Amino acid sequence: MAEVALSSRGRQHDGSPSTERGGRKLASLRRWMADAPAAYLLLAPVLVLFAFAVVYPVIQTVWISFWDIKGLAKPRFYGLGNFIALYNDANFRQTIVTTLLWTVCTTALSVSAGWGIALLCSLAPRPTLVPRVMIFAAFGVSEAVTGYIWLGVYRPDAGGLLNSLLGATGLGQFAHPWLGDSNTAIWCLIIAYSWAQTGLPLILIFAATQAISRNVLEAAYVDGATPMAIMRHIIAPLSMPGVRVALFINLLGSLRAFDTIYVLTAGGPVRSTETVGFFMFRESFTQFKLGYGAAATLVLLVAVLIVSLPAIIQRTAGAR
Amino acid sequence: MIGKAPRWVPIAVGAISIFWIIPLLGIVITSIRPVTDTVLGWWRLDHIELTLRAWFSVWSKYPLANGFWVSVQLAGVATLGSMIMTPAAAYAFHFLKFPFRRTLLIIIINAFVLPQQVVVIPLFTLWRQMGLIDNLLSVLIPYIGLSFAWSIFLVKNFLEDFPHELIEAGRIDGTGPISTFFHIVLPNSLSPIFAVGILQFLFCWNALLIPLLFLRTAAPLPVVFAQISGMFDPNWDLRAVAAIVTTIVPLMVFLVFQRQFAGGSLATSGSKE
Repeated sequence: MAEVALSSRGRQHDGSPSTERGGRKLASLRRWMADAPAAYLLLAPVLVLFAFAVVYPVIQTVWISFWDIKGLAKPRFYGLGNFIALYNDANFRQTIVTTLLWTVCTTALSVSAGWGIALLCSLAPRPTLVPRVMIFAAFGVSEAVTGYIWLGVYRPDAGGLLNSLLGATGLGQFAHPWLGDSNTAIWCLIIAYSWAQTGLPLILIFAATQAISRNVLEAAYVDGATPMAIMRHIIAPLSMPGVRVALFINLLGSLRAFDTIYVLTAGGPVRSTETVGFFMFRESFTQFKLGYGAAATLVLLVAVLIVSLPAIIQRTAGAR
Repeated sequence: MIGKAPRWVPIAVGAISIFWIIPLLGIVITSIRPVTDTVLGWWRLDHIELTLRAWFSVWSKYPLANGFWVSVQLAGVATLGSMIMTPAAAYAFHFLKFPFRRTLLIIIINAFVLPQQVVVIPLFTLWRQMGLIDNLLSVLIPYIGLSFAWSIFLVKNFLEDFPHELIEAGRIDGTGPISTFFHIVLPNSLSPIFAVGILQFLFCWNALLIPLLFLRTAAPLPVVFAQISGMFDPNWDLRAVAAIVTTIVPLMVFLVFQRQFAGGSLATSGSKE
């Protein structure tokens, strides 16, 4: 996830003076430097590895999705059969619903929590440094470990924090095997994942609030605005660029999530916590239906592409 | 901030943050108390006894030491690989002219949206045919290959502001394109290369799906941990230690370098001013 943070949006390329500082424009500099063999020499390792690790597998995933491959049986061409089977598979339809619920809820929860905390922090940046680091620390925990950490909260025995807390506050009748019930397990996962993912929106949006010009804030203060009014009417709207970046990054992360689900529920009970990213794993690598899994992966890929279309357009236009 | 924030603001944020780390605290305390006490709740104060028993016995119970060593190798080699190969490519894309330059660039920098799930099925078949299953290369190749999608974008963005005078001066003094890279661009681009290293290290150390599928005996920490963290294992103390061992290195890297992390995020999010 983190890697996306640093690369989610390109800088605006508007031919700003800074890129023409050398007197020579980039294009003419390139012409002057022209040396295709040297360029390919420098690029060779990258192109080879990228072709191996990305280009070939993506093309091959598309190709495999048209084949019926089950275990060691001889593959046979299946046309759109896998996709039709997906459409008719009640489990897969359930997976789509789960994926939508999971993606929307985790993104909304983590970004709104991060935004709210970031706005509060922007009122008192220095005294809130340590709390910010504490919340950010949850984002630094490996996703697999996040699953286990929350197992300690949801476990049904006396050692489970949530049920004990309910018992201690007189709400014992609400104690529940949270992970064992197919209605509550998905919510357990959503809370656990949002807990971990709040740190990134927090730090991104907080950074955006710190980039607001002091003149704007001073002007409002001189006009007699209270800190809360400044937060609501000036800092909140001006932090929107940070919110947009955080929304995109967390949306993408939620769609591809695998680790936390694998450790906390492994898709269960009765497949109630399988997102598409987990469904493909199960079909391909525990049922060994590679073609079917590949078809499900393509559904995931399409969802990812739709979500990232604005970012892709921006990057492509900015690629000079 | 201008003016004085209400006193409740830091108090509220502090309360939220304490609430936030309770689950994390639970793991730490579970790891240093006897499991007979923590089955009734790690927060209970009626019988306080601290022990490092789990910290000593975990190493013989689970293959954690081996997992740690595998993780060090995988994350180390993949990080170095990305740090070495990325700058050369970013330099070529930014300063040199060659056929298909823009097409290749667009393909590579847009690949950052791809989920890992899209590459694992064909790679699994390919590695099996090549006999690379359980070989560290089966994981290193996708780790490094996938990283270029974001790392080249990151370094190339930095090069947007690289002073052309330096390159022209070198060129006039007779350096070729390759020595311009090694003697002028590379020594002046260490900060984005370092950022690439931090991110790649975190990503590779924490990766679960790819090593889970391609490695068997040489499993890195997250895979070892995922295998022992099933719900019905009663060794809560041992598993708490394993959780800490798995995540302590990336967590420390994260906390130490969070300033670079935030700065880098902001620099490429288009809100630098």
